[in-house]
Amino acid sequence: MASALARPLITVYSEKNEKTGTSLHLPVVFKAPIRPDVVSFVHHQMSKNRRQPYAVNKDAGHQTSAESWGTGRAVARIPRVRGGGTHRSGQGAFGNMCRGGRMFAPTKTWRRWHRRINVNQRRFALVSSIAASGVPALVMSKGHMVHDIPELPLVVSDKVQSFNKTKQAVIFLRRIKAWTDVQKVYRSRRLRAGKGKMRNRRRVQRRGPLIIYGEDQGLKLAFRNIPGVDVCSVKKLSLLKLAPGGHVGRFIIWTESAFRALDAIYGTWSSPSSEKKDYNLPTPKMTNTDLSRLLKAEEIRKVLRTPHKRPVRAVRKQNPLRNVRAMLKLNPYAAVLKRKAILTIQKKHLDKQEFLAKKTGVPLQKTKQQVRYEQLIQKRKEAIQKSKAAKPKTAKKAKKAPAAK
Amino acid sequence: MQNNDDIVWSIINKSFCSFKVNTKTQKFCRHEYNLTGLCGRYSCPLANSQYATIREEKGIIYLYMRTAERTAFPNKSWEKVKLSRNFEKALQQINENLLYWPNYLKQKCKQRMLKITQYLIRMRKLTLRRQKKLVPLQRKIERRENRREEKALIAARIDTAIEKQLVERLKKGVYGDIYNFPQVAFTKALASEEVQEESDDEREEEYNEGGREEEEEMEEETRAALEDATEYVEAESDDEDMESDEEHEFTDEGPEESEVEDIEDMARPSTSKGKKSKVSVEYELEEALPEKTKVKNRV
Repeated sequence: MASALARPLITVYSEKNEKTGTSLHLPVVFKAPIRPDVVSFVHHQMSKNRRQPYAVNKDAGHQTSAESWGTGRAVARIPRVRGGGTHRSGQGAFGNMCRGGRMFAPTKTWRRWHRRINVNQRRFALVSSIAASGVPALVMSKGHMVHDIPELPLVVSDKVQSFNKTKQAVIFLRRIKAWTDVQKVYRSRRLRAGKGKMRNRRRVQRRGPLIIYGEDQGLKLAFRNIPGVDVCSVKKLSLLKLAPGGHVGRFIIWTESAFRALDAIYGTWSSPSSEKKDYNLPTPKMTNTDLSRLLKAEEIRKVLRTPHKRPVRAVRKQNPLRNVRAMLKLNPYAAVLKRKAILTIQKKHLDKQEFLAKKTGVPLQKTKQQVRYEQLIQKRKEAIQKSKAAKPKTAKKAKKAPAAK
Repeated sequence: MQNNDDIVWSIINKSFCSFKVNTKTQKFCRHEYNLTGLCGRYSCPLANSQYATIREEKGIIYLYMRTAERTAFPNKSWEKVKLSRNFEKALQQINENLLYWPNYLKQKCKQRMLKITQYLIRMRKLTLRRQKKLVPLQRKIERRENRREEKALIAARIDTAIEKQLVERLKKGVYGDIYNFPQVAFTKALASEEVQEESDDEREEEYNEGGREEEEEMEEETRAALEDATEYVEAESDDEDMESDEEHEFTDEGPEESEVEDIEDMARPSTSKGKKSKVSVEYELEEALPEKTKVKNRV
């Protein structure tokens, strides 16, 4: 599989949709990170820069010499118009709630209409949108009808630049199958909803293909009358044209000279841009963005610990002072102690009984266990003595014969 | 190139996709090559460079496949394989074409093919049965046409046309000697009829039989003669009344009016046949003004 940064070859198509011999390397701009958030933000800001100020008249609502009547007249204390002899006299004035009064917070022309955007951000957004225009999925999802074009990014020979008749332009678009996109523009022509209709924004239509040229030899004149088609020079790319609406993925038709110029304008990662001062393409956060494949890759899996397949369930706490097994888990020696305690009790009991038996002269009836216990003790004593005798005389620290009690 | 899939999906999912249709509970995908019709990470044709679908064109089912290498060439990206009409064979074809492809795609392709074959079968069955074509009516047009029909009917004035026709036939002699009219009255009536036509009078009354027309033709002269003898016939008269009238008539007979009487007798029975219609009989003045009665079409 090709690496992420491999640069495929793009064939240049003639204006008749035949493959010319030339093929160009994909400019590195198309590998730049696609950041729809940056594009959206920058577009939002940029679109504010074409606004014209609007405001209300500064005197509006104040061209009266109204004064409040004060209290005691059984009317509201709003300033009222002086004088008499007309309807207007005595009416409220000045307030935003009054009829004929000024509005709340009258709009001013010195509102901050325009926004500045950092140069690098602007360039980032631009580069992102160019990269996105090279992804067929994004262009299609934006709504362009590109299912019949020969290749994306679409590069056409420079002959297109010398078109000066619209007829030629239309024939060209038909030949490379970009006409369906223009037809979509035709079909989308409608009246705007809302008051924009009476504010010189009556008609709305979709955007069609964007033609980017290296040198204008009449191309602008040929394409300008086709609805939806925009035309742009490589040297003056605008985000508002590359990502209309703030969404990436416009359908772009490049001319050969424009395509060649891209590497010089935006640079490659290894060499900075020659046209822009101190500019190099933004480096992506991930070189390989195929997350699903990464997670299945051997190199990554090897470094991870084994997954916990069995779930650890919460165990109920047992009180060791009441529950013997819980105690044993914590302190295994407790078994020994307990056993010892039990046995000593038993022994004491036995001794007592024997003593009583001796005293009263009644022969004691011993239980089986007691009998066996006595026998066991006996055996042990003998075994100890035997081993002591068998052992040569060693240091005192030597352990006594293991008398397992 | 496959690197793009995840990026594309994150963009399509979060922001805008022109094929996505959102409902309250589900996301649909309007893309023609979508396998399931729903918008999802692994069913989106845009977000998966390796994709396969089943589509049906004119009753023939095809398997479409696309690989990552061909995504850059949109017009060549889809490879089309015609599937056999035998379902089992088609399944095998899918299996061999999509060998080593992700299971999800294989499964969905087979399911889709099953669905398509089922609906094709159903379509074929339906065409064999009676095809009901549903034609929507447009209320406005229907109403308009109905009203125009009514108007046209009125404008045609069918009954007058029938009248004329029948009178003509009578004149011609088609009816032969069925009707027995006294000669004098008959000729008078004919003459008066001609006068009538010239003067362009309009008299509209309703009569079911030709006899009634005769009465009309009798016109002023004869009517005047009748007036002495006539009783006033009321419009909504019952049979009993009619009979009484008849009897009454009988007594008032004069020699002159015997013939007239005949006619009247003839005429009467027709009325006595229990018409409950709004027939208003004109009574003549010197210069008879045409009385227009409301004509109801009782055809």
